[in-house]
Amino acid sequence: MATVRDGMPHFDLYQPDSVEDALALLDRLGRGAHMDDGTDGPLRAWVLAGGLDCLERFKDRIRRPSAVVDLARVGALRGVRREGDETVIGPMTTLAEVARHPDIRERFGLLAEAAAQVASPQIRNQGTLGGNLSQDARCWYYRGGWPCYRAGGNICYAAAPGAMNREHAVFGARRCVAVSPSDTAPALVALEARLVIRNAARTRMVAAEDYFLGPETDITRLTVLEPDDLLVEIRIPPTWAGTRFHFEKVRDRPVWDFALASIAAAMRQTGDRIDQARLVLGSVAARPWRLPQVEAALAGRPREEAADAADLAVRGAVPLAHNGYKVTLARNLARRAILGQPPGAPSLAMGASGLMGAPDPSPARQTGKEAS
Amino acid sequence: MPTDAALFTPNLTGRDYTTPDLRAKLTGAARYAEDFRAEGMLACRLLTSPMPHARVARLDTRAAQGMPGVRAILTADELPPPADSVADSGATIKASPWAEPALSMEPLHQGAPVLAVAAVDDATAVAAIEAIEIEFAPLPFVTDPLDSLRPGGPDARTGGNVWLPPARAGEQAAVGRLKWTDEDFRAAGPGRLPMGKAAAEWSYGDVEAGFRQSALVLDESFVTPNVSHQALETRSTLAWWENGKLFLAAGTQSTIQTVPAIARWLNMDPKDIVFLSEYTGGGFGGKITASVSVIIPALLSRKANAPVMLRVTREEEQYIGRARPSLAGRMKAGFSPEGRLLALDLFVVQDNGPYEQQHDAAIAGRMGSLLYQPQAMRWRGVPVLTNTPVRGAQTAPGGLQVSAFMGPLLAKAARRLNLDPLDVCRINAPAGRAPVGPPRPDGTLNAATSAFVREALDKGAQAFRWGERRARPADAGTVRRGIGVATGCFVAGTVGFDGLFVITPEGRLRIHCGVGNLGTESFSDVQRVLADAMDVPWEACEILWGNTARHLPWSCISGGSQTIHSMSRAALAAALDARRKLVGIAAATLGGVPEDYDVGGGRVFRRGDGRGLSLGEAARRAIELGGAYDGHECPDDVHGMTRTAVAALAGQGLVAVARDAFPRDGQSYSYVAAFAEVELDTETGMYRITDFHAEADAGRVVHPRAFGGQMVGRSMLGIGHATTQKWFYDTRYGLPVAKRFHQTRPPTILSMPERFTWGAVGIPDPQTPVGARGIGEPPTGAACAAVLCALAHAMGDDAFIRAPVMADAVLAAMEPENGKNRANRPRGLSANV
Amino acid sequence: MCDHDAAMSRPAGMTRRQFIRSVIATGVVSFSVPLLPARGGAAARTAPGTVERLVTLTVNGMRRRVDVLPNETLAQTLRGKLGLTGVKVGCDRAECGACTVLVDDVPVYSCSTLTHSVLGKAILTVEGLASPGGELHPLQQGVLDEQGFQCGYCAPGFLMTALGYLKTNPDPTRQQLAHGVSGNLCRCQDYDKILTGLLRGAEYMRRG
Repeated sequence: MATVRDGMPHFDLYQPDSVEDALALLDRLGRGAHMDDGTDGPLRAWVLAGGLDCLERFKDRIRRPSAVVDLARVGALRGVRREGDETVIGPMTTLAEVARHPDIRERFGLLAEAAAQVASPQIRNQGTLGGNLSQDARCWYYRGGWPCYRAGGNICYAAAPGAMNREHAVFGARRCVAVSPSDTAPALVALEARLVIRNAARTRMVAAEDYFLGPETDITRLTVLEPDDLLVEIRIPPTWAGTRFHFEKVRDRPVWDFALASIAAAMRQTGDRIDQARLVLGSVAARPWRLPQVEAALAGRPREEAADAADLAVRGAVPLAHNGYKVTLARNLARRAILGQPPGAPSLAMGASGLMGAPDPSPARQTGKEAS
Repeated sequence: MPTDAALFTPNLTGRDYTTPDLRAKLTGAARYAEDFRAEGMLACRLLTSPMPHARVARLDTRAAQGMPGVRAILTADELPPPADSVADSGATIKASPWAEPALSMEPLHQGAPVLAVAAVDDATAVAAIEAIEIEFAPLPFVTDPLDSLRPGGPDARTGGNVWLPPARAGEQAAVGRLKWTDEDFRAAGPGRLPMGKAAAEWSYGDVEAGFRQSALVLDESFVTPNVSHQALETRSTLAWWENGKLFLAAGTQSTIQTVPAIARWLNMDPKDIVFLSEYTGGGFGGKITASVSVIIPALLSRKANAPVMLRVTREEEQYIGRARPSLAGRMKAGFSPEGRLLALDLFVVQDNGPYEQQHDAAIAGRMGSLLYQPQAMRWRGVPVLTNTPVRGAQTAPGGLQVSAFMGPLLAKAARRLNLDPLDVCRINAPAGRAPVGPPRPDGTLNAATSAFVREALDKGAQAFRWGERRARPADAGTVRRGIGVATGCFVAGTVGFDGLFVITPEGRLRIHCGVGNLGTESFSDVQRVLADAMDVPWEACEILWGNTARHLPWSCISGGSQTIHSMSRAALAAALDARRKLVGIAAATLGGVPEDYDVGGGRVFRRGDGRGLSLGEAARRAIELGGAYDGHECPDDVHGMTRTAVAALAGQGLVAVARDAFPRDGQSYSYVAAFAEVELDTETGMYRITDFHAEADAGRVVHPRAFGGQMVGRSMLGIGHATTQKWFYDTRYGLPVAKRFHQTRPPTILSMPERFTWGAVGIPDPQTPVGARGIGEPPTGAACAAVLCALAHAMGDDAFIRAPVMADAVLAAMEPENGKNRANRPRGLSANV
Repeated sequence: MCDHDAAMSRPAGMTRRQFIRSVIATGVVSFSVPLLPARGGAAARTAPGTVERLVTLTVNGMRRRVDVLPNETLAQTLRGKLGLTGVKVGCDRAECGACTVLVDDVPVYSCSTLTHSVLGKAILTVEGLASPGGELHPLQQGVLDEQGFQCGYCAPGFLMTALGYLKTNPDPTRQQLAHGVSGNLCRCQDYDKILTGLLRGAEYMRRG
């Protein structure tokens, strides 16, 4: 049979307007029916948020779910609110809303900044925080339909001889060398966010750090979400509210491109001394790559003195044929995060705050109706 | 030739105005090919090759044929053999057996169309393709030209791996086999391009003597990227047949010239083809005339007996659209102590793709000889076939690459000789009737019509404040600045095309235009000259374009930025014909001799008493008088297609028609000097272009805003080559991994330099009566090279061996132990890594 | 090579048998707009809980009744069903912005939006900018006066993105506006003139 990589296959579309209805649908359809001959595995319902990750895969005819559950009408999944001293974000809140929300900007600017640097304005208008966290890998072999480990095959093309892997993993690779493409994931791991996941049977809460999976745990998915699961809340505790943040994203073009590497850091300081820190790299491993050894080395030291701890960031890095630069980059990003340098000179900050993808400067937007 | 003020007084010419196509573009009313609809229209989809080179071993379309809604399947055996063509000189050009076919059972690259399906809707066509049983038997493939040149290396085609020049005069180039020796590769050493036997070469002067006299000899290697054209409109096409005539709606750069191209592919009479292309969503050389995307729906439509729309997807565009060939260059250059280029030995390996010979490598030699004026020069080139997507000319083909090769080399020479890079550009710049290679059979060189490159460098340097920036102390810290200056040039005009317009009985000028509308606005801009020569207000002019049923004259292709030069001459020629006819009509009507009369102010009038006729009255008289006045007779020297148009227009008014027979001595080229400053963060490898200035030497500026659009847009195209755009290939499987925009990275609006300015020296070219030369091409090479020079200034002369320079290359240059300095790796001279 | 390609040519997630069955059901009724099946076929079978096919869209201030497939993108509906071909599809993958329309004043990529997801919202395309009498929107007029855009294929998307952005920031700096429209690609790279034209348009809008 010949292959065509364009044409959205048919699916049944469901548009529940409550979480309960969505869960009931996923309970019924999420695991789906097996194929008549069982060869291609189960078809199942697909949860549609902003659509930017999955519609492409449908059009490419690489994913062909029998049913799609569109969350666009589930109002309860959208919006930002305070519950006590926790900030609670609905996963269907758009990245643009996250980036400009006053409470998030004031308390968790790290997340606002990360959201503001995703892709392009339209993608931030459509794409949701939940979708950005839960998106699939962007390895160009995997996305191109090559039957690799992650696609259920038995080879990683990106790590094979002759492969092009400049955008692939330098940490934690096992068989598969794809990276987590999310910009907001490292920020939420740094902020110790907790994610509330529901299915028809139960509700569970996982630390952001545990939401993401490396290939050693499951080589075919990047998150713990099961087919009948729904991410219903992103809860950010006050732990790091108002501390010193550093977010930086390095990419080839200032718009659209995924990170070559990014860093999200939160640091509690007394004067110039770092009391406690969380540093998380993005796009260097299949999941946000926390740097506990650096964090430990920083505790209690003045930041100028502690900058050498950045070298620990790349201990154990295993570069591939074309991504050795990521080792240099990861170390430099960690160093800059520790020192709190603005990302380069102001005029140089492609993709850094204040210039590229900065949160919308308009006050009108910050008080928009969708911000409630 | 003196610019004769009596022929042409610039009034509208040189001023901004609103082009007649713009409003529709801004309201959504402009119809591009995919916006057309036809009753009963079928959807066409392609089955394309998943492999870089294969033979279809088994094909069974029965299941697809039997599906409800599937109307026709077109396979390679149904293609007509392409016809021979006839050049303007009258010589027959035989159809090449090596040319790109519309469909093939031996696809030569991933994405090559194997067959096409027409069905009642898109989903059915897709389903039909997925129902086709097809097996491909893999054949040897190669995606890197150097791999193919190795002893025993794979050939991209079963017939060979290299385009070889004709063995005997009068024959055509053909594909043959060329392999280098192990010793050729060993001799190069790491990071240097090996130089085995070339497919073609030329030289002038004593190159070896030049090197002996040189104070400095550099030997540099550099690789430019494969870059797809990626016009925003893919090459979708609607085809239908009516009464034996083929109607096509498709994007093209060249309306009238596309017709014979289609006729040749389909082996049919051009008279039976009507081509619609009012709006074209970008070309950049990728849509010069027809391509397979036009042929497939045309044949399917005939077979299915219904209109067929081939909607070309973005990914298919990556395959069957066009791309600029990567060139790998080795430049040995000898300089005098003052920085004068005494000798240049340029060796170029071209990644040709699988089909027609591309001329980038050869043009690189020609443009290099002009742009840097070496006192002695040798050029050698090898166009190597690869199993990668189809190549085609892209803005300044070869011109961009030679600037990328030579710009940084000149800057390096300046630093070695302790000179200002600007002075080295200046001392080597062409001036006046500058000589240009290759040598003619008698050994002499051709000459440019004019060149004012030093003027452009001086004016540009002032605008950019080059001296001030150069004097700034070196940077401390992690942010480095670099500045660069470079020049670019390209062909900027041809001669001999036809102008045609009608003065209607209402006194309006209806201008028939065979030029394509791809957004450069030259289809309209050249008519400003016509209006000036007729001394009528612009409001009195109406342009008919984009539909060959509208009786269009033979025009140049809109490629190589020739239109503004070529067609302003043709427009002026037609205007002079109209003036001749007007004074003739006036004399015949009002008495006296034609010399008593003049044309101006919308009238033809007698000098002295002012008695005369309005243009409308004259047009009515032209119809009464007949003959040549109203198009019942047509000059002999115009093209056959123009004669056909004139015959159709006969009797509608005063028909003005003429071939551009203005003299020209020399070859027309335009030039740009570009200046760039970069700020580079050595910790992240990211950089931005903070300042950029481009200064043009392109003769008279006809439409400043459109001119500026070309200066900016085509500079940005060059900047894309320097900064982000390229292909990535998996060499083991011979397949591209970067196919989408986010993987091939065309520049965004935020990729623009922070400050971007442009200027033009504006000295009219003395070899064309309008004084205008094209501007679309030369900014690309100048801009690309200026940015590469600035990066080398910031990071060191030997930091980069290929363009584009992305963050990974910067970081590898900073810490070679992590990047293992890819210049020294086996694939160091590959473009697609 | 062989195992790789053999596997690649097999469509993921569906057996051939089931796939063909669904294709046969996907409607082969002939109609004049073949890029989308208009009615009948598999899409017509409405499983319990799935969306209604016949829906009302509010486009350019008008309510339009239209038959929309579950898997139909807004760009397909607007172009194929409503004839609004000013909506351009340059990539169909959220990578170029040519298809940008406003949904409740917010710029979105219509190629990457399911039509069913925007029911009940106000959709504005480039065709809705000029007045019915043909008077250009001030934003269009500003671009016209500055001869913005070259080939024009990206123009509708740029105009819609700019309009959406200007609703949130009516008096932007050049750099702010560049950020606002940074999700739109112009391959002629006429970015300088585009910005100049859009800024002039913004000025006209402020003047009313």
